[in-house]
Amino acid sequence: MKTVTQHSVPDRRAKLGDAALWQARLIMLVMINIAQLWILAATVDAALARHYSVLLPLVIASGICFLITLSIIKWWRPTSRKKTSTGYVREDR
Amino acid sequence: MSSNNTSDENDVRAATALFQAEFPYERDQEAQVTRREFCNFLGLTSAALFVGAAGFAGKAALDARESEALAPAAIQGAEALAPNTSLNFNYPTERDSAILIRTADGAYHAYGQKCTHLSCPVYYSRNSQRLECPCHEGAFNVATGEVLFGPPPRPLDRIEVEMRDGQVWATGRNPSTREEEGRG
Repeated sequence: MKTVTQHSVPDRRAKLGDAALWQARLIMLVMINIAQLWILAATVDAALARHYSVLLPLVIASGICFLITLSIIKWWRPTSRKKTSTGYVREDR
Repeated sequence: MSSNNTSDENDVRAATALFQAEFPYERDQEAQVTRREFCNFLGLTSAALFVGAAGFAGKAALDARESEALAPAAIQGAEALAPNTSLNFNYPTERDSAILIRTADGAYHAYGQKCTHLSCPVYYSRNSQRLECPCHEGAFNVATGEVLFGPPPRPLDRIEVEMRDGQVWATGRNPSTREEEGRG
């Protein structure tokens, strides 16, 4: 049987870790959005300049950024996370 | 924070007192954006930026493939144009503004009026005898449409003109491309 004190320390650590993960997630998402904004500007510039050869690589780059964003939002989870996707805490065995 | 509630807010609080007891939340919390919501917003922004880039590139690629034969059109009032002046007209469609210039030696030159940098309308500067873009200070040669200075990456789209029965006619449009020049 675990005492309350023993429980609270790892719980606090887990919360801190969770906060750090969210922080990292947000920073990465913002950076990717900035990169995508730059790519959009370059696409507009290339289209107006009729520099067609760079259009496809730019769109592909933007698509890859979007996929990374999607993966960060949907699939990035801390490996040590005890909670399941439904919010229940897994029991230690 | 001041607790200077307006009477309306007090009324709302009084009216919702029953619900406040069962579902207590503060108004400040209602406006708070959670990290998850912000993440989702960034995801939507990313999707919008991707769709924007793809749409812009797709539109440009479609426009490049269109090679319609343009019908010749008379430029009204061009024959009365004084040397070293310009005239705006629309060609090939009513939505495409163009500029006709009669140089000091009497020759006619016509170009699409969109600057090749960011599509601002160019105008003819009589003093410097060149086409200038007021947005980012780009300039084009009036006889060839070539870039003289500034940010435009390619020459202006040239519109072919010829004299027919004393009238000036626009007979076609030659969009310039960056690849043609071997630039970039």
